[in-house]
Amino acid sequence: MKNDLRPKVQRGAGNRTVWLALLVCIVLPFVISIPLATEIMIFGLFALAFNLLLGYTGVLSFGHAAYFGVGSYACGMAIRYAGASIWTSLLISIALGSLLAAIVGALAIKKRGVYFAMISMAVGQMFYFLALSPLKRWTGGEDGLKFIPRLKLEFPFFVDLGSPYPLYFFVYIIVGISILVIWRILNSPFGRLLQAIRENEERTIASGYNVTMAKFVSLVFSGFFSALAGGLFTIYLGYGPLHSLYWLTSGTILLMTILGGMHTFIGPVVGVAVFLYVQNQFSRYIERWELLVGILFISLVLIFPDGIVGTIKNKYLERKADDTSPETEPELNAKTETEG
Amino acid sequence: MYLETKNLCKYFGGLKAVDRVDFQVREGQLKSIIGPNGAGKTTFFNLLCGLYPPTSGKIHFLGNDITDKKMNQISQVGITKTFQITHVFPRLSVFENVRISAQSRKSSFNFWKKADDFSEINERTVEILEQVKLSDRKDRLASTLSHGDRKYLEIGIALSTNPKLLLLDEPTAGMSPAETVLAMKLIRDLRDRLNLTILLVEHDMNVVMNISDEVVCLNEGQVLACGSPQEISCNEVVQRVYLGGPKEC
Repeated sequence: MKNDLRPKVQRGAGNRTVWLALLVCIVLPFVISIPLATEIMIFGLFALAFNLLLGYTGVLSFGHAAYFGVGSYACGMAIRYAGASIWTSLLISIALGSLLAAIVGALAIKKRGVYFAMISMAVGQMFYFLALSPLKRWTGGEDGLKFIPRLKLEFPFFVDLGSPYPLYFFVYIIVGISILVIWRILNSPFGRLLQAIRENEERTIASGYNVTMAKFVSLVFSGFFSALAGGLFTIYLGYGPLHSLYWLTSGTILLMTILGGMHTFIGPVVGVAVFLYVQNQFSRYIERWELLVGILFISLVLIFPDGIVGTIKNKYLERKADDTSPETEPELNAKTETEG
Repeated sequence: MYLETKNLCKYFGGLKAVDRVDFQVREGQLKSIIGPNGAGKTTFFNLLCGLYPPTSGKIHFLGNDITDKKMNQISQVGITKTFQITHVFPRLSVFENVRISAQSRKSSFNFWKKADDFSEINERTVEILEQVKLSDRKDRLASTLSHGDRKYLEIGIALSTNPKLLLLDEPTAGMSPAETVLAMKLIRDLRDRLNLTILLVEHDMNVVMNISDEVVCLNEGQVLACGSPQEISCNEVVQRVYLGGPKEC
């Protein structure tokens, strides 16, 4: 009975995609290089966290590097200066990333559109310059946070994170669990509320929702998972790079998300995979690879206006509903300027 | 008194959009507001539903002062509005449009349970879709509905919040004459069946005269006249300002 009430489109299909993606990621390191696969997992989580805000709540943050970078430095500093364990360091990353998101949210989440984007970018750049110069003694300035001892996991069992495969599967498990948690959140009453806000903020308020509070919580969740991705990035690299805080990182994650499809759940991860793979291949053979990557991305965005996954999904739905419906998906305006 | 405004004013700079309006609605009433363009009808609505704070004056609902409440809080005390220009959730299914609004009466800061598993909300949604005659289109995206259906959907979204007072801002705007007749019937039906109190802004005089218990005419932010549809259509001032010149009654 309960099942019959649900609209058809929402039953099952999304669940299967998520599990399929997780399966694909198990074999990923055996198909492409392990470092590349690890990076795809980490940035995939970052993109999902970012898209929780952009694609699901309809809020554009142009300073997401702040949460990622703070997570990255917090993890590295906890290990290097306090000798903290991997788990403790990641917890510190998450706590600081969420706290920063809460502060930014309290100050700025009421601002809409480009105003919020600008404020978040300013905050991001503030942290970049803090790490670059005033806090150089602790952050290592331009060189990034170096001299992190060789990493190993001691609980629940010993894992040497210095070797590629164990590291990959350590990252895989954490990212995989995070993906399932984000999926769960997005399908909860709260997640549905976020989508309503994205679709029509005024109507959502008129239905009696405290939209400001919902957007605030969404930003904190996003900061939480972005910082977790940042922490993993430090563990993967063995040092905390300064560019994790740079605005270009915010731009890249936006580009990857749009490339994959911001109105789909798994799209951002696909965008990350395509972006990093292409970048990896091109930079091997051509010195000025950015130029070619730029051209390729412009064409990809033109071929897939709703992102790779978004466009494929729309085509599939169109074919399915060919017989009855007069017009299918509306224009999604996922167009963007792209530069490598 | 169910709803009452006292000396309600809203100024935009030097413009007196709503000017010292005293206004009452009784429980179970279907009351219409008419008036020429720019008379302040929509502004008045937006004051009632909390979209704008009034410049001065008071709004009382069920004996409580709700003047300073925000739009979402006013929705929670039981006043819900539909918009003149349809406000639905375009890329969500028709079902989800109504479901998400019905969900607002429960705790929505639940991050873990599956939204589709709240059977009470689902059943309520089915019931609402039945009432606004959209059951057969529940899986469609709202953006693919015709204009008339979208207006119905908007009424459905408003109904799903269990309003005590429903504010309808030009519910038949843009509808064909045939659609208008059906919409009128629907509004009347809903009122009778659910015993709703409804306040309506409308331009179509046929609609107003047919379904209202009482009509108020606004002009330049002020109440020009108030009375039964019969009284209003025979009122000389209203005829001059709004109905296009004197007429025999």
